[in-house]
Amino acid sequence: MAETTQDDVVFRPKPSLPPPPNTVGVVGWLRKNLFGGPFDSLLTIVGVSLIAYVAYSLYQYGIANAVWEADTYRECLDVTKGNGACWAGVSTWMNGYMYGRYPDVEQWRVNLAGVVLAVWLAPFWFPKIKAKILVGMSAVLTFPFLAAHLFLGGEAGLFLQVMVAVAMTLFATVWLNVGASYLGYPSLRVALLRLSGFENKGDHLHKYVLLGAFGVGFVIAFAYQSTWELAAVPTQNWGGLFLTLVISGIGISSALPSGIILALGRRSKMPVIRVFCTAFIELFRSVPLITILFMAVTMMPLFLPVEINPDKLVLVIVAVCIFAAAYMAEIVRGGLQAINKGQYEAAQAMGLNYWKMMTLIIMPQALKVMIPNIVGNFIGLLKDTTLVSIIGLYDILLMAKASGQDGKWLGMHTEPFLFTAAVFFVVCFCMSKYSQHLERTIGGGYGRR
Amino acid sequence: MSLETLDSGQEHIASAISDEVVIELSKVNKWYGEFHVLKDIDLTVYKGERIVICGPSGSGKSTLIRCINRLEEHQQGDILVNGVTMDTNLKNIDAIRRDVGMVFQSFNLFPHLTVLENCTLAPIWVRNTPKAEADRLAMQLLERVKIPEQAAKYPGQLSGGQQQRVAIARSLAMNPNIMLFDEPTSALDPEMISEVLDVMVGLAESGMTMLVVTHEMGFAKRVADRVIFMDQGEIVEQNTPGEFFNNPKSDRTKLFLSQILAH
Repeated sequence: MAETTQDDVVFRPKPSLPPPPNTVGVVGWLRKNLFGGPFDSLLTIVGVSLIAYVAYSLYQYGIANAVWEADTYRECLDVTKGNGACWAGVSTWMNGYMYGRYPDVEQWRVNLAGVVLAVWLAPFWFPKIKAKILVGMSAVLTFPFLAAHLFLGGEAGLFLQVMVAVAMTLFATVWLNVGASYLGYPSLRVALLRLSGFENKGDHLHKYVLLGAFGVGFVIAFAYQSTWELAAVPTQNWGGLFLTLVISGIGISSALPSGIILALGRRSKMPVIRVFCTAFIELFRSVPLITILFMAVTMMPLFLPVEINPDKLVLVIVAVCIFAAAYMAEIVRGGLQAINKGQYEAAQAMGLNYWKMMTLIIMPQALKVMIPNIVGNFIGLLKDTTLVSIIGLYDILLMAKASGQDGKWLGMHTEPFLFTAAVFFVVCFCMSKYSQHLERTIGGGYGRR
Repeated sequence: MSLETLDSGQEHIASAISDEVVIELSKVNKWYGEFHVLKDIDLTVYKGERIVICGPSGSGKSTLIRCINRLEEHQQGDILVNGVTMDTNLKNIDAIRRDVGMVFQSFNLFPHLTVLENCTLAPIWVRNTPKAEADRLAMQLLERVKIPEQAAKYPGQLSGGQQQRVAIARSLAMNPNIMLFDEPTSALDPEMISEVLDVMVGLAESGMTMLVVTHEMGFAKRVADRVIFMDQGEIVEQNTPGEFFNNPKSDRTKLFLSQILAH
């Protein structure tokens, strides 16, 4: 580069100035968003008054004039004269809303399963834990067996017993891994090898050591679970929020994997697979869920041999899973289409085969794009499960309805449904917020695009 | 660009061609539907040879090099890469792709992975290289393309020129013996073209077999052992850069050169 001489014009950028006043800060925000002009100001005032009115009415109905303790709906009405809520009935029926007709003395099993699931999945959010796939996959694949045994009770078959023992061993593995990670080992694998003294004794022995450790854990778990004596609780007694969460939980956790497989099948170059997947998706997407439920519960048994008498709940869950998978498949397909063709080409040009390309390159990107749609679908599915009340499963909605037909609480219709609405709102709102959080954190890694 | 600037002081770098054939195309034909995009292409590439392919858009030059690693499927003729016949056998295709690197016009870096992870993904998952070894190799390559300090960043945080250099490093991480470049500088701002071309010149100096589709005639003059001019799916003319630029045989080549060198 030439040296600067006196004749050269030197470029000096102008200094950056602060923005004009009243365009930043609280005042700026208020002026811009609430009082931008006469019409805007009017809208603001009307809107605020409306919100205040609704809030005040709700407060009057739900808190100020509400009755919290009473024995019958009649007592409530005597006090409120119809101007306040009768929460006494809701709290009396609370157990029913939560568990349906699940026997009171056995409800700890439901709670235990819930706690186990929460504890199982907790390491997913621990920053130090790298084996997130182990955490997620083990829970999704084996927790349902453990939960099924806990919920159903009674005599478990050998297969279920084995799966329960596997589930407990994997649960222990997940948490031992957490322990090992926080004790400074890179992973449970290394910790086991180091503690057993096999770390430097030939790599081919490692897998036997690890398998042996798992085997010991399995035997202990199997022996332990065979001592359980759980009273049988048939699915007819399941109900309330518990039943809603069982149906939607299974539907949600099966929807994503089966949806991915269906979507890949629909994009496959192999005609048989493509036609089958397309037909499956189109068939179940064009039929309302309630129709599928009726078909599953009333018509399916007609086509089955008499000896096979499947549980109504199982049929419902299968129907919900199929329905959810068909919807999810189209969401996944949409996500896959959002991925640039160049990503496929770059992966192929490196020699990655189809499955490696999909799992390492395409799916991670597609899933990120799909998060809002996936969670939207999950929320929809959770709410759709209330349709099972129509075919006579006592989910939270049917329990709410039943409480208003109870002799003591006859006529109590508003409060149980308000309560149910609040429960659904809390659950769905949490899912929605978490999805937004996921979008931000996963998206944050991309940097500027 | 004019011929004077092309000639300005930069020597043609020494060739290292051996007589070993690495790519052989004979009578290759390809159609997109009804459109005949490659017509009877015959091409033999020797180890260490550096070929620049140029021609107007739609002439089939990108399609030609994309047939070499099966991003496009040809319908007639034979393609032989590193002694392996290109056919529908997935094993052969994967074997060829492992040893043929490709750099794209639009970079096609994986946006969800860091620069380093972009470079180690294929060695780890295709060649089963241990992660530590793959990391070490990738850092060496990032140093070679002069951006080791960006290793932990994501592609979206880099400039176009930097991204393309990462893409080159990523291809080199598989230790290929042939590199295909599909208009590597066409999506770049003028200020960034030279940093990518410098890396490519360095690669040429190391004796890599290169097929480059580009409009950078300065690069062709300096690096190419052979310049191929394509139009309408045919190889119209091929020659050494000296002969090609100073003494083109075909009218079509003369017209093309006069158009791209007019500015």
